[in-house]
Amino acid sequence: MFEIFKEHKGFGRQILLLAKNDLIKTYKGAAVGPVWAIVKPLFTLFVYWFAFTVGIRGGHIVDVANVHGHTVGYPIFEFIMVGFVPWWFISDAILAGAKSIRINRQFVTKVSFPVSTIMSYTLLSKLFVHFMLVICMYVYMIFYNGGPTIYNIQFFYYCPLMFMFFIVLAWSTAPMSAFSLDFYNVINSVMSGLFWLSSVVYSSYDMDSDIIRKIMYINPINFFTNGYRNAFLYNRWFWDYPQFKWETLCVALEFVFLFILGLFNYKRLRKRIADVL
Amino acid sequence: MDKPIISFNNVTKIYTLYKNDRDRLKALFFRPKTAKDHMALSHVSFSIKKGESVGIIGDNGAGKSTLLKMITGVSFPTEGEVFVDGKVAALLELTAGFSQEMTGRENIYLKGYILGLKDEFIKTIEEEIIEFAQIGDYIDQPVRTYSSGMKMRLGFAINVNIDPDILVIDEALSVGDAKFKKKCKNKIASIIKQGKTVLFVSHSMDSVKEMCQRAIYLKKGEIIYDGDTEEALKIYSEQKK
Repeated sequence: MFEIFKEHKGFGRQILLLAKNDLIKTYKGAAVGPVWAIVKPLFTLFVYWFAFTVGIRGGHIVDVANVHGHTVGYPIFEFIMVGFVPWWFISDAILAGAKSIRINRQFVTKVSFPVSTIMSYTLLSKLFVHFMLVICMYVYMIFYNGGPTIYNIQFFYYCPLMFMFFIVLAWSTAPMSAFSLDFYNVINSVMSGLFWLSSVVYSSYDMDSDIIRKIMYINPINFFTNGYRNAFLYNRWFWDYPQFKWETLCVALEFVFLFILGLFNYKRLRKRIADVL
Repeated sequence: MDKPIISFNNVTKIYTLYKNDRDRLKALFFRPKTAKDHMALSHVSFSIKKGESVGIIGDNGAGKSTLLKMITGVSFPTEGEVFVDGKVAALLELTAGFSQEMTGRENIYLKGYILGLKDEFIKTIEEEIIEFAQIGDYIDQPVRTYSSGMKMRLGFAINVNIDPDILVIDEALSVGDAKFKKKCKNKIASIIKQGKTVLFVSHSMDSVKEMCQRAIYLKKGEIIYDGDTEEALKIYSEQKK
């Protein structure tokens, strides 16, 4: 049942090496290479900022309730930036994680390889890009929003959790996508819709309907985007959000569920993947 | 008595063939009705002791590759048990497992890690490998810039220099020019002399006779004969007629 952990034992250096390799592969052949990792997100941000402020007029400020007892309005640009930074990692991690075994099939069909480490190094390489974006965002926030503040350290709570959450998800999706390309296509389709169901360009904490707001706790992505906003934008502790117990419970249950499902699916499919890839 | 280094205990390998992609999706959750089974190996049992060199003969589709894949740890048996005790170096697909973006040197380490070697040990064989592969300054260039011959040479050099306990060789393999081929043959011969276990797959009767005292003759996934090479080859050529 725990072969995933066995496979990782003593493999740390290699995971790092392969993560680096994965990064190089993503940005190879481009003159400015890694700069693209920044430029593309910047452009996305600009487009959304444009759509919300110039296109749909009146969207300059996002009101957020219960920040240190008040309702505070935040500039839309900062608001969506802090939401997008974790979202980019999440969407990368879900898609690349699901595809990882399929892409690295030479490690499965040709040599004896600890297959579960493929998911780990793939997501690790995405995490490096994420760190770069977090630094850019942080510099911006320090200049325009004041700081650094003590609340920023919540990054070290949310970021590792986010990383673990989506690795555990990939334990299921990667072997299943390796088995059937249709399964990967299902994930791909879900992802394109998931963006609008997630608290990236709006605040799921501040929806009018009580029921819908609670339903939004089910989406784990909201936990992380709102978490990053607690840490960098709202400057409050996550336990200062009145219903933090509910959202934390939802994510914790989902994590345990995905963890068990991942171990089960990996064990079930690991030995069959080499035969079908 | 020596403990066997490789043993197959009543091993059966069944490949499930799916009719189409829809069936593959279904197969994630249950077994589709239209799926067909192909038995590649059927109740195969044998054991190989340390220091033996064994030839594996048989027609295409007899199950030779499946058997080797299970020894190298790529494929797993449907039923039965496969037991392999030691480092396996496979001269099957030499460029397998190379990472195109990494340099030759990094790939030496990568391959070493996959085989469970430690940094210190890889360091000691690093120069030997580079020397053997005759790659020169290219060793610090990404593998994608290598010619196919260079990749093969590097792959071969890594596999024979990691001090394997078991060496798996596919005769169909061709590595570089005549000069390098000779070098390879000598290296393999010296490994056999060291008392390592060698598995040799070939269609050429002569090379099997030359290298192995024992041969296993496979036909349609079953062992027809396991024993003396001369005898195995005799049965094989008789059945061919």
